[in-house]
Amino acid sequence: MAQTAPALVVEDIHKAFGPLEVLKGVSLSAAEGDVIALIGASGSGKSTLLRCINLLEIPDSGRIRLRGEPLEMTRDRRGQSRPANWRQVDRIRSRLGMVFQSFNLWTHMTVLQNVIEAPVHVLGKPKREVSEQAMALLEKVGIADKASAYPAHLSGGQQQRAAIARALAMEPEVMLFDEPTSALDPELVGDVLRVMRQLAEEGRTMIIVTHEMGFAREVSSEVIYLHQGRIEEQGPPEQVFGSPRSERCRQFLASHLSRDRNGPTAAAVAAVDQPTAS
Amino acid sequence: MLPDLRGYGWMLWEGLQLTLLVGLASLLLAILLGLLGAWAKLGASRIARGIAGTYTTVVRGVPELLLILLVFYGTPTLIQNTAARWGTPVYINLDPFVSGVLTLGFIYGAFATEVFRGAFLAVPPGQIEAARACGMSRHLTFRRIVLPQVWRFALPGLGNVWMVLIKATALISVIQLDELMRKTQIAVGATKLPFTFYFVASLMYLGITVASMLLQQRFEAMANRGVRRA
Repeated sequence: MAQTAPALVVEDIHKAFGPLEVLKGVSLSAAEGDVIALIGASGSGKSTLLRCINLLEIPDSGRIRLRGEPLEMTRDRRGQSRPANWRQVDRIRSRLGMVFQSFNLWTHMTVLQNVIEAPVHVLGKPKREVSEQAMALLEKVGIADKASAYPAHLSGGQQQRAAIARALAMEPEVMLFDEPTSALDPELVGDVLRVMRQLAEEGRTMIIVTHEMGFAREVSSEVIYLHQGRIEEQGPPEQVFGSPRSERCRQFLASHLSRDRNGPTAAAVAAVDQPTAS
Repeated sequence: MLPDLRGYGWMLWEGLQLTLLVGLASLLLAILLGLLGAWAKLGASRIARGIAGTYTTVVRGVPELLLILLVFYGTPTLIQNTAARWGTPVYINLDPFVSGVLTLGFIYGAFATEVFRGAFLAVPPGQIEAARACGMSRHLTFRRIVLPQVWRFALPGLGNVWMVLIKATALISVIQLDELMRKTQIAVGATKLPFTFYFVASLMYLGITVASMLLQQRFEAMANRGVRRA
């Protein structure tokens, strides 16, 4: 039954960019309401994995199922993997909300227009109904007063919250976050994390690529540590952060946790206070 | 104050209108060809890229006057001779307005291709990714996200193309189209007042370009709504 199928299943994803093998067989499964944090050093493949889930990158091999519906893949004449049916890809993408590191709000539209664009033009919903829902979403992420502003006139934190509202407006079954706070000034990170925490508490299924270890530890139900395109450590946050089995994961966490034990702002202040600390 | 135009003022005014009409029709064709050319140049099809590349290289490398003469006098002759060889004699007489618009549109389409190519490349990839990630099809992404942003990047370049194009319409006078340049020559011939009429015609062309510049500023302000000024 579709009800019992996990929200999202990703199996044995491989992806290479030319000679560089970025993902060497990664699998994950998200049940309804799971919050999975993908962590790892830059270049570990965590962002590529996320982008493979909604086919912004086309995996070379592997299987993706959303609520039991398999994404149909085929191969072209040269053996290159590609989707069998782009309509299906578009439909699946409309059920996955994506939040980008660099927000990617459409610059020629106001915040409200950004939020209603896809529900109106992809799902074909009536504009008035969508606009009301959009205002409620903007209220929820705390930027209702910016509804008629253009993205360029918003701070990074406001832009990212608008982008989250835009993704939510599609009523996605799974939300994908690609380093949502990495492009933000430290003092703006908190607002975005607060919104994401609220979404997690509401029981949304989320997959989050992040460097915010404190956030990952508190909010996620599962943590996956990627190293050179493979899952090196995986488990509930208490286990991965508390007693990691992999030495690499332990080292990675040690270097990251010392950096942002008290959040990035505190870390920055500490760095200023103790310039000689190693 | 006003120079005495000896009753030819009305004729110049008619010429001005035709100049504007030829210019606007050519611009429209140039924009369509430019979008098509840019799409071909940036597309995956090697054949389309080859055709578009040849088009821009050849057209930008041949004088406008030569192409105008080639199209107006050359093509009918070519078609008639070919048809005669096949045994079906035809007689073709091109309309100067149509062949002028076709030629200028074709020429400035090549310049517009380069303008649009740059404009398409200036749209940040993240804008397109965000659209595709919400399930927008390629077509919908192009119409709703890419095209509105392309105008913003293309407007300065297109304004430039228009300036050159509107002045190039004067060349169409050689194929007997009664636009401003030819009307001026007729008036000069009849009145023997070259300075007066060429000067007035200059002011008229200048009037068009100044008005165009003001319009362009308005369009750019509209297209740049919501974008922080650098």
